[in-house]
Amino acid sequence: MTKRSYTTVNPCIMCQPMGSALAFKGIESTMVLYHGSQGCSTYMRLHLAHHFREPVDIASSSLSEKGAVYGGRENLKKGLRNVINRYQPKVIGVATTCLAETIGDDVPAIIREFKEEEEIGDDPKKDLIIIPVSTPSYGESHVSGYIKTLEAVVRKFAEKQGKDRAIKIPNGKINLITVESLSPADVREIKEILEVIAEIYIFLPDISETFDAPLRDDFPKIAPGGTLLTEIEDMPNSLASLGLGIVSKNLALEFLEGNYSVPGHSVPIPIGLSNTDNFFTELVSILNCPIPEKYQKERGRLLDAMVDVHKYLYGVKAAVYGDPDMVFSLTTFMLEIGMYPVLVATGSKSRDFGMKIRQIFKEIRPELEPVVLDGIDFDSLNDAVSDCSPDILIGNSNGRYIAKVRDIPLVRVGLPIHDRVGAQRILTVGYRGALELLDRITNAILEATDTFTSPVQAKPATYTSKVTEEECIEGIK
Amino acid sequence: MQRVVKDMTEKTGIVDTLEERQPYIARKQEKGQIIPLACDNNSLAGAISQRACVYSGARVVLNPITDAIHLVHGPIGCAGYTWDIRGAKSSGVETNRSSFSTDMKELDVIFGGENKLSNAIDELVGLYTPPIILVYSTCIVGVIGDDIEAVCKIASMKHNIPVIPVKSEGFKGNKSDGYKAACDALKQLITRPPKENAAENKPEISNEIMKPRINILGDFNVAGDVWLIKPLFEQMGIEVIVSLTGDSTVKSISRASEADLNLVQCSGSMTYLAKWMQKEYGIPYFTVSFFGIEDISIALRKTAEYFGSEDIKEKAEKILKTETNRIMPEISRVRERVKGKKAAIYMGGPAKALTLIKGFSELGMDVVIIGTQTGQKEDYEQISYSVRNGTVIVDDANPLELAELLVKQKADLMVAGVKERFIAYKLGVAFCDFNHDRVVKFEGFDGFVNFAREVDASINSPVWKSIRQRVLKPETMSSGKEAVKGKISGEPHAKEYKIMDVEPELLSLNIDVAAENQISGEASR
Repeated sequence: MTKRSYTTVNPCIMCQPMGSALAFKGIESTMVLYHGSQGCSTYMRLHLAHHFREPVDIASSSLSEKGAVYGGRENLKKGLRNVINRYQPKVIGVATTCLAETIGDDVPAIIREFKEEEEIGDDPKKDLIIIPVSTPSYGESHVSGYIKTLEAVVRKFAEKQGKDRAIKIPNGKINLITVESLSPADVREIKEILEVIAEIYIFLPDISETFDAPLRDDFPKIAPGGTLLTEIEDMPNSLASLGLGIVSKNLALEFLEGNYSVPGHSVPIPIGLSNTDNFFTELVSILNCPIPEKYQKERGRLLDAMVDVHKYLYGVKAAVYGDPDMVFSLTTFMLEIGMYPVLVATGSKSRDFGMKIRQIFKEIRPELEPVVLDGIDFDSLNDAVSDCSPDILIGNSNGRYIAKVRDIPLVRVGLPIHDRVGAQRILTVGYRGALELLDRITNAILEATDTFTSPVQAKPATYTSKVTEEECIEGIK
Repeated sequence: MQRVVKDMTEKTGIVDTLEERQPYIARKQEKGQIIPLACDNNSLAGAISQRACVYSGARVVLNPITDAIHLVHGPIGCAGYTWDIRGAKSSGVETNRSSFSTDMKELDVIFGGENKLSNAIDELVGLYTPPIILVYSTCIVGVIGDDIEAVCKIASMKHNIPVIPVKSEGFKGNKSDGYKAACDALKQLITRPPKENAAENKPEISNEIMKPRINILGDFNVAGDVWLIKPLFEQMGIEVIVSLTGDSTVKSISRASEADLNLVQCSGSMTYLAKWMQKEYGIPYFTVSFFGIEDISIALRKTAEYFGSEDIKEKAEKILKTETNRIMPEISRVRERVKGKKAAIYMGGPAKALTLIKGFSELGMDVVIIGTQTGQKEDYEQISYSVRNGTVIVDDANPLELAELLVKQKADLMVAGVKERFIAYKLGVAFCDFNHDRVVKFEGFDGFVNFAREVDASINSPVWKSIRQRVLKPETMSSGKEAVKGKISGEPHAKEYKIMDVEPELLSLNIDVAAENQISGEASR
């Protein structure tokens, strides 16, 4: 298709409230309520249930025509009351939708009013905490919804403690704050690393249990797990914050730095060798400790594997797409192992994305020239794929149409992954994650090129028949 | 199973739920009883309804139109979450599987989205040359007041294709209102039959007896269902003009007015259109279902009866005989494996819920919970006729109610959609997807075999035995071979976990009684 200016065909982003739910669901005993019409919560519940294969309860203020005309005050209050009644949460995250924003409801004011009426105090130890976030669907994307929500959460808990707490009570902990939703397996891996190295840390938000819950004897109304409220409260006292993700701004981290002087460092999401190296380096320098032998060995195994597969991967052209920071880290890893990410794309609009991607190419493989796109939809991704003809796609399930038409493999990472099982268990971070990803990518290529498993090919296996990179660059130009 | 859910104690009602939700849940107590059930209201704020919105209702009904561009005028979310999530199959183009959106941004909300919409339509016509564009309005469009009707009208004249507004602002009612909005859009696509004009122009009317022609309303060709139904009618010598909207095109829809009869399957969404076609084109209609042997038989016989020809009747009987004989061995085999098990039904529309009651009784299973998102008063009356005593009927249920009901009613299997699936799984209840995203055909004779096999596969999977002990207790394992043996047979654990107390009289439900009830229920409408 030629360039479009007015329509989006097959979107590569989700809306802000979705990001908000992904963040809130990583907090202990939290319910999410969308202030808007009934459909928003149902659609997003469906989307998340498809991906995580878990029950996902999200409330709605179920605005009707009356609410839209006269304001959603009563509906929101009723919704809050019913959620409290039925779920007894410790926190309710209220995310707005486009409807609530457009009719102009003052959500913080309604919540204040509600708390007065219901005599809910401000004691974080015993009182319910309601956190409003403004996340209209017509603004930015799920990524911004996620980041805004984490900031709102950190701010709420920090400010709850009032001004009298000007003196910090150092806790010696390290805050870990992500800018994009990682898989439950990824969160578990990072937590494990921290447990081995630091012992005391605060990871926000922790979806490792809430979105990947073990079967248990009872049926809890709210999935157990999530970052503890006492920990979130304690974040301003921490030694430092380590942000995961460098393309998008980490608002929660900046807030803690600006208002509570918690030094903030951001590293790329630790996918691949150098990104994981960076992550460990930052960690040990903040905590002033050595890297445990366990991870040296894991790193060694990754190096060993990279050597083992380097010939399969050299020059293999890949198209990678998804959320900006995940794409950045995946791209780094592909460059390290000799692949050629011909097409690097994200659905979010981001000026920094292109700059950061080009920078990493310059550092690792300056001779390559990728096509870098932001704000794409899958239709434009398809056009770009036609131009770049990659051998493999790396991204979420929505690329499956493109992969199928072009008969190339798709290695699934990111969100949503609804057409295969195990989305919640996909591990990409740390040395172990890099190993798993390396195996998956290599095996996908072998599956496509191995003459035993793939149809007999007229041309030789992909990596040997590759046009030289110079030619390829010419082609793209 | 009581131990599984600890804090769900029965208070006043059938389940522990919000005061305002109590009127929506009832238990059938005695034979022939009609249960008054609150229904057809907006969902309660904060109650976590399983319903979606007006837009969703409209989209579900219209999405299977294969050659249409379904353009969502609104912010990106509405289009994103509905992108190809329905398993409606196409025999031709698949334009409907792409997601088109005007992706409204803040500026569009402030200054209005009419220009963007109009430009978007121009752009899409230029790129895809579609035969039709359906423009869905979303919440925000209703609030900022974009006149999408005017935009569509102008675009329609400009491009000489139908550009139809679907008035589906999310907050303006519930899913049922979306069905109506979809039918209103369909009305504009159905053109006057040519025969009215032809009669004037051509005095010579062919003596050849025309093949009787029907439309199937409310079959969305999920997983290819319609492809198992159409051949049955063709074998009877009846032409199916179009199925609304499964595997339909603008062209086939436009010819719907030429039919002699409308068969309505999804009554919740399509009765409104059927009534309109009756008034407008004099096409009578009746309600049918193509699920389960009993209901397919009724559908074919009623249709043959309507056309009255002995030839058609004979053909129908012949089909029923051969097909039933063909699948019966497999159905009987599965029946032996699942009979006596208890089923829970939670469906979007009431028609599917009703037909499932019969389907389960054909498999020897009992329905213990039945609920819908969009049932109306008459639907629940009919449902209460058709179910046994003790069955709980629920409207617009939420996850906690469903979970508690599954436990209390001791359901072995739940039939519903994705959101309900994981509730059932967490409770250790088998599950069968009967929603738009299933990939297996369930209609027709072979479809019923598929259904039976899926029910069997889930109920009789060994995983339920494996998950009984959710915490490993070495002490229970150490008593040696006895314990292992007990685990394999499953009996000791089965007793601890689930108590099967099927009332013997309930086991021998006469299928015909339920069928009669349904027919009489319909006639009384």
